[in-house]
Amino acid sequence: MQGTELVLRALHARGVKYIFGYTGGAIMPVFDEMEKQKLFTFVMPRHEQGATFMAQGMSRASLSTATPQIGVCMATSGPGAMNLVTGVADAHMDSVPIVAITGQVATGVIATDAFQESDVVGVMMPICKQTYMPLSADEIEKTIHEAFYVATTGRFGPVVIDIPKDVQVQQARENYNFDLKKFRPKLPGFYYHPSPERDVLHQAIELINRSERPVLFCGHGVISSNAGAMLQEFAEKTNIPVAFTLHGLSAMPVDHPLSLGMMGMHGTVEANRAVMNADLIISFGMRFDDRVTGKLKEYAKDADVIHVEIDPSELDKNVKTTVAINADVSRTLHVMLNDPELNSKPRRRWLQEIEENRQVTISSVADELADGVGIAGKLLMKTIIHRLSEITEGKDIVVPDVGQHQMMSARYYNFQTNNSWFTSGGAGTMGCSLPMAIGAKLARPEERVWSISGDGGFQMNIQELGTIMEQKTDVKIMILNNGYLGMVRQWQTLFFDGRYAGTPMQSPDYGLIAQAYGIPYLKVAELDQVDAAIRTAIAHDGAYILEFICDPSEVILPMIPAGGGFGDMIVSRPQA
Amino acid sequence: MTVKKMKRRAILAFVQNKPGTLNKISMMIRRKMYNVDTLTVCKAKPPGVSRMTITLREDDEAKVTQVIRQLEKFTEVIRAKELDRDCSYWREVAIVKFELDTKKLEKLQKKYQIEILDSKPHDIHIIQIAGPTDRLDSFLDDLGAEHLIEIARTGVTAMDK
Repeated sequence: MQGTELVLRALHARGVKYIFGYTGGAIMPVFDEMEKQKLFTFVMPRHEQGATFMAQGMSRASLSTATPQIGVCMATSGPGAMNLVTGVADAHMDSVPIVAITGQVATGVIATDAFQESDVVGVMMPICKQTYMPLSADEIEKTIHEAFYVATTGRFGPVVIDIPKDVQVQQARENYNFDLKKFRPKLPGFYYHPSPERDVLHQAIELINRSERPVLFCGHGVISSNAGAMLQEFAEKTNIPVAFTLHGLSAMPVDHPLSLGMMGMHGTVEANRAVMNADLIISFGMRFDDRVTGKLKEYAKDADVIHVEIDPSELDKNVKTTVAINADVSRTLHVMLNDPELNSKPRRRWLQEIEENRQVTISSVADELADGVGIAGKLLMKTIIHRLSEITEGKDIVVPDVGQHQMMSARYYNFQTNNSWFTSGGAGTMGCSLPMAIGAKLARPEERVWSISGDGGFQMNIQELGTIMEQKTDVKIMILNNGYLGMVRQWQTLFFDGRYAGTPMQSPDYGLIAQAYGIPYLKVAELDQVDAAIRTAIAHDGAYILEFICDPSEVILPMIPAGGGFGDMIVSRPQA
Repeated sequence: MTVKKMKRRAILAFVQNKPGTLNKISMMIRRKMYNVDTLTVCKAKPPGVSRMTITLREDDEAKVTQVIRQLEKFTEVIRAKELDRDCSYWREVAIVKFELDTKKLEKLQKKYQIEILDSKPHDIHIIQIAGPTDRLDSFLDDLGAEHLIEIARTGVTAMDK
């Protein structure tokens, strides 16, 4: 068998159905074999970065389905591979398992600065979970299977396989034989603790039973281990409120009485004050990122911390734990839920305090939500997201880009469906939305997918409209156009005396762009058109672009300034 | 102002001898901004396994734990641990070229176990000295910087008692 056949056989054995790829000189043989076999649905992005985000959308959205699939992206050597860098780094920051396969120049010319040669392994090494370069056809299958194993074992992450062109076309040795059933990767140092250890677990239960003002944290690990329902059960059983990280959203209904919504920099008042005043934090599958903690010295000073995390290097990294549980979130919750010692308390005062703070959040935006428009009658992003949430009953898949509209979506979409929220969190990559939404839609074709972008992020990967056109992917696209890079503008408003350096930006006529790609389009500038526009997009069978003309002066609050503590939270807008 | 010297630590790691492993570890050290003094690698007893000794200066226990956990996170790292200073031997070797008259050299020879590799005209000598880091440092102090021409040190390798 030829190397390329082995590549595809391995991918097929791993349940891969879609390949997001862009061909070129050094990857052509694999594409050629793909064309012969027709085993995979090939999706061509219009830029290699798009392929990485489509792969992410595939991995993330299919995770909670009966047939999880790892997103696979392919690119040629040199510039093709380098265009994958941002998306791979993004997947690494957000612990998303994807497999990136790149062609490399032939082994004979490696390190001679050959045409389209770049040191892919060297570049990718610090920004992904593992890199490989098989040097013979015999190594290919073993390498790909190990790559899938590494990507999906323990904490998820992206893996890069760089295959020289001559290895792709090499024939495997005559008696080559690979048995997947017998395959065990030779990685003696690579193991993880799926189950929690007994003694730490008992300590944790004791702390939980003793606590008066506990808070549960729901991080990405809850989503990754499909443990949303169990977390909800745990919260209900113990009567402990739940705060979400950006990636923890949609693990359980966000309007649940015990839900505090998102915490951190743009978190709700009730979530952040609960964290500030808690005597116990029970955190599941998260990493105490600086956008979550603010100033570490002031973070949750009076709280004991129980940290359940699959990656031991995250334990005690930023926040000192009282009890560190190095285990899978889902298994830990399973054991905890069945522990007869675990008990519940009414926590009347604690929940009362939270309720009061919830009213602070509600009243801080009540006027804006009632008006629906800001300065000069321009639309507010929060109104649009709020309306979308109402009309879709919070059941749709939401894929925002990065910026103000992302935080608005996180705050004002009423998530009801498990694992229905995909965004770039750790890396904060603008332009991720459109391609990621394509991947998500292909993974879950029965569900409605919304790609929500600002005018800045939308223009970063606007070319993926070509993919939507070609694949006829039914993605509903929202552009919240305020003529600025809104989030940076907000910082400039609050911390740079309103000097808008490098944030105003012109947009093309999106109507003409939509027309060029054959996608129906509506521009919405008036409040009374919002609902109708959303309903039109929903009713249309296929992709639809809605452009909303938004108020650039809108800010997302509350906000904890970067490097500030929870006491520095800005709840309402400072009067100019 | 005197700068307080941070505690010296040694971390021992067994790693799979694969291309890129050393690169990966050194990149991690740079990225996390650890103060590494020395890093040595050699073959370990099991085939295909390398033994790596890293010494660094760090007072913060949590940071040292982080280094070890970051190391263990790599699929190529089989095992990593800190070596307790009181329960392990830390040794290094230096090759030193210097210019010194014979009398003084004999004095140094008496005080330190040194092996003379070569003696050239004009009192130029090349010697080898092995031992704990502070012995090598003290030898160099006794020799005096003005006599030193060139020095090569291996960095620390270490083993449990």
